[in-house]
Amino acid sequence: MKRKLIAAIGAAGMLVSVAACGSDDGKGSGADGFKGQTLTVWAMDGSTPDTWTKDVTAAFEKKTGAKVEFEVQQWNGIQQRLTTALSEENPPDVFEIGNTQTPAYAQTGGLAELEDLKKSIGADWTETLNEASVFDGKQYAAPWFAANRVVVYNKKVFKEAGVTGIPKTRAELFEAFDKIKAKGKAEPVYMPGQNWYFFDGLTIGTGADLVKKDGDKWVSNLADPKVGEAMEIYKKYASYSTAPKDKDEATPQQAEVFAKGKTGAFIGMGWEAATAIKANPKIEKDIGYFTIPGETADKPEGVFLGGSNLAIAAGSEKQELAKEFLKIALSDKFEGQLSKELGVIPNKESLQENLKGQPAGEAAAPAVASGGTTPLIPEWAAVENPPNPIKTYMTAVLNGKSHAAAAQQVEGEFNKRLAQKQ
Amino acid sequence: MTVQTERQDSRPAEVRGVDGGGGRPQRRAASRARTTALAPYLLLLPALAATLLLLGWPLVKNGLLSFQNLNMRQLIQRLTEWNGLDNYAEVLSSSDFWRVTVRSVLFTGANVVLIMILGTLVGLLLARLGKRMRLTLLIGLVLAWAMPPIAAVTVYKWLFAQRFGVVNWVLDQLGFHSMADHNWLATQFSTFAVVTLLIVWQSIPFVAINLYAATTTIPKELYEAASLDGAGAWKSFTSVTMPFLRPFLYATTFLEIIWVFKAFTQVFAINEGGPNRLTEILPVYAYIEGFGNQHFGMGSAIALLTIVILLALTAYYLRIVLKQEEDEL
Amino acid sequence: MSRPRSTLGRVWPNALALVLLVGFVFPVYWMFATAFKPTGDIISENPVWFPVDFTFEHFTTAVTADNFWTLVRNSVTVTVLAVLFSLVIALLASFALARMRFRGRRGFIVGFMLAQMAPWEVMVIAIYLIVRDADMLNSLIPLTVFYMMMVLPFTLLTLRGFVGAIPKDLEESAMVDGCSRPQAFVKVILPLLAPGLMSTSLFGFITAWNEFPMVLILNKQAEAQTLPLWISKFQTVFGDDWGATMAASSLFAIPILLLFLFLQRKAVSGLTAGAVKG
Repeated sequence: MKRKLIAAIGAAGMLVSVAACGSDDGKGSGADGFKGQTLTVWAMDGSTPDTWTKDVTAAFEKKTGAKVEFEVQQWNGIQQRLTTALSEENPPDVFEIGNTQTPAYAQTGGLAELEDLKKSIGADWTETLNEASVFDGKQYAAPWFAANRVVVYNKKVFKEAGVTGIPKTRAELFEAFDKIKAKGKAEPVYMPGQNWYFFDGLTIGTGADLVKKDGDKWVSNLADPKVGEAMEIYKKYASYSTAPKDKDEATPQQAEVFAKGKTGAFIGMGWEAATAIKANPKIEKDIGYFTIPGETADKPEGVFLGGSNLAIAAGSEKQELAKEFLKIALSDKFEGQLSKELGVIPNKESLQENLKGQPAGEAAAPAVASGGTTPLIPEWAAVENPPNPIKTYMTAVLNGKSHAAAAQQVEGEFNKRLAQKQ
Repeated sequence: MTVQTERQDSRPAEVRGVDGGGGRPQRRAASRARTTALAPYLLLLPALAATLLLLGWPLVKNGLLSFQNLNMRQLIQRLTEWNGLDNYAEVLSSSDFWRVTVRSVLFTGANVVLIMILGTLVGLLLARLGKRMRLTLLIGLVLAWAMPPIAAVTVYKWLFAQRFGVVNWVLDQLGFHSMADHNWLATQFSTFAVVTLLIVWQSIPFVAINLYAATTTIPKELYEAASLDGAGAWKSFTSVTMPFLRPFLYATTFLEIIWVFKAFTQVFAINEGGPNRLTEILPVYAYIEGFGNQHFGMGSAIALLTIVILLALTAYYLRIVLKQEEDEL
Repeated sequence: MSRPRSTLGRVWPNALALVLLVGFVFPVYWMFATAFKPTGDIISENPVWFPVDFTFEHFTTAVTADNFWTLVRNSVTVTVLAVLFSLVIALLASFALARMRFRGRRGFIVGFMLAQMAPWEVMVIAIYLIVRDADMLNSLIPLTVFYMMMVLPFTLLTLRGFVGAIPKDLEESAMVDGCSRPQAFVKVILPLLAPGLMSTSLFGFITAWNEFPMVLILNKQAEAQTLPLWISKFQTVFGDDWGATMAASSLFAIPILLLFLFLQRKAVSGLTAGAVKG
């Protein structure tokens, strides 16, 4: 479960909240009104680098006089933990929540509405990133950070195969793979059958919608030829790989496979390189990144924007204090610092300069404007619960089924999940 | 951890007669008899109270939930939405549920048969070994048995990993080159094969060690008598060993059925019920539907149905127990 | 039987035992071996059979995880208490069930057999709601008592077998010698039961030590969690850190392995001794 979740969120975490322990509610305003209170923040493992956490804590405590406690959450079982936590007397006050999961939680009434926050600090949040925080026309979370996939490649393998220059179009990329294949010393790209977020990006690129309205309910739109088109592209990628057709990119970790030096490239998050380097430090100097090239050189491939939002629990007794925290954590200063430290895409385009000098981040940024997410409907969460029918569809196509037959095969399960009672 | 539960019942009748409590104590004072009459209930009180409070209450709660529409929203807002028999109607009318049920029964059957046969054989082997070899093998068995299932599953996933897994490497070296990159978790059958291997591997020690312990209690005279009657090795096995072990085997089979049927950790952790939900057994199905997909009311309904099915599976043994206890009193 | 056949008869059980030994031990060995290997040797086209470049790196990763020692303390507390409570409660009940005649005895026995079938993993949400409404979240108490309950039926039924295997005459002669029934129990039966208590407790240890779904949602505060949550930590966003996972699994398994090796020998020999007398 954890892995799907992870994948869902891509890089980002799910959510963090701030839970306050004891003390009365935060109706007091002004610096002194918060004294003696403690705000609890749930952040996912990996979302809050030490320096950032320390600096934000200091700034927050200075401004409000209250304390903040970060509780780092593990991925395993996070949804169940979050759902149950939101039902408790002392929910975490602020929490990190995956962008695609926000609508489902907004609909439960577990998230506090944040219209005024959006007005005061969110006027210039990147549109494609903010979309996921809005449900039914209202703001229920704040975009925190995002990440999207790039091509992580082995410069040495590319060079030895005679590939010069960075591929600017999809066709050029496949040419490069052909050369590596012809050379015969390395697998051109590692592409397991169920890298579903990469596939989601491809469908965004072809303009496909995964679901459509049928009357007042949502149903599968997998049979759409545009989905098939995206799958054809995926299939082409997979044809260069011997990776398992029924596994996602985390089993085995694609970066560890890549670390052996016998793989030309993989599509992944920039930080996955660190995993590769840990497995084989010698690979570091050979690692490079580029934006996933699209059909034409002027528009990169569609990408899934995995992201994290910050939300406030509706049941929190410290609404005001929690908002103060968001204002600080999401300020240009700390948003920029987080972007720099994690190499993630910040919530404003103007802050993207913080990625300078980070090759992975620089490769990712150009695709943000044309990126997208999974369908932003509360019903969607059920679709990605394992076993994700879209992954089943992908494996079926890669194993030789036609697009139409595979789409039909999973349609029943897909629709059943979309129809689940909320 | 021995299943000797029924052993005393198989002892010769005259021994049991004494057990049943006849003569001497009865001659004691009548007042004492009255206190004694209460004693068993007092002794049982803590166990009974614990069971009612800690198992009975959750079961009742679970029963109540099974009649509710309880999803994320209702849980978070603490709403109670009764929906009558809807959950049961939906579960019982879904072909998935019945498929999973049949699969669970077959899976349990296959595993229990393997465990009992292989476990018995290993147990008999232990009885034949010399002292040193026996101790060595015992330690090996205990190591496998004692592996916490979470750790064991992780190790098996690692052994059977498609890339860098030892099993594929060994098969490749042995000449089965097509196995070099074999994905064990790709199909229903081979996923079950791995899970079965794991479960059987961890369950054999329990059966074998206990069975070995049981064989050591068979009085030597019985064998001597059998060989005086001209019985060969096989004959004395069937006429002395087996009858002696039968109650033990019944009790162990009963336990193994329960354990295998409820083998949630192993099946869930190895592939989360995949590929394609094809290796979900009932507890995993209940967990994924109810907990993973956050349809808690539905999950509760499946949980109760799971108990009913397990009851049906073990009814035969429970009847034997009922009957036996009756005879004894 | 002719001589050659009996030689063969001596060789094959030993040969078979060796094969079995390797089969049973290898996965355990592989866990430890992997834990000691550098990552490069773990992810390797050709398996590295022995950890030649011995490293403690993965153990360091595992042990320096946040709150590790708190989790250890919690796990030990919860497990030991759950097992102790279940032993005491089960012992009382098993004595009644194995030794006394009373109305409803059969019902109790079958009742506890049924209790053994409870599917705890799928009852977690009901338990969660009970504990939440009792305001007992993030506490070790609910964990302890529910783990106790998970192992109680098995403990009770198994102990009943052990109690039943002790010759009744022993107890009766003690009573004739002027002991009261409780005295007879403590002086005569309890010592004979020691191996039985030890071996039944193993099952309890494993169950309580491993429990995951319940602690996952009952105790969200890091200070109130147990070790199974810690193991899952190393299978992360970026896939699995096999080295750290195996190191964590090794550390997780060691207490139980040691306990088994220590108790099982006594339990088996004690049991057989007791049973033969019966």
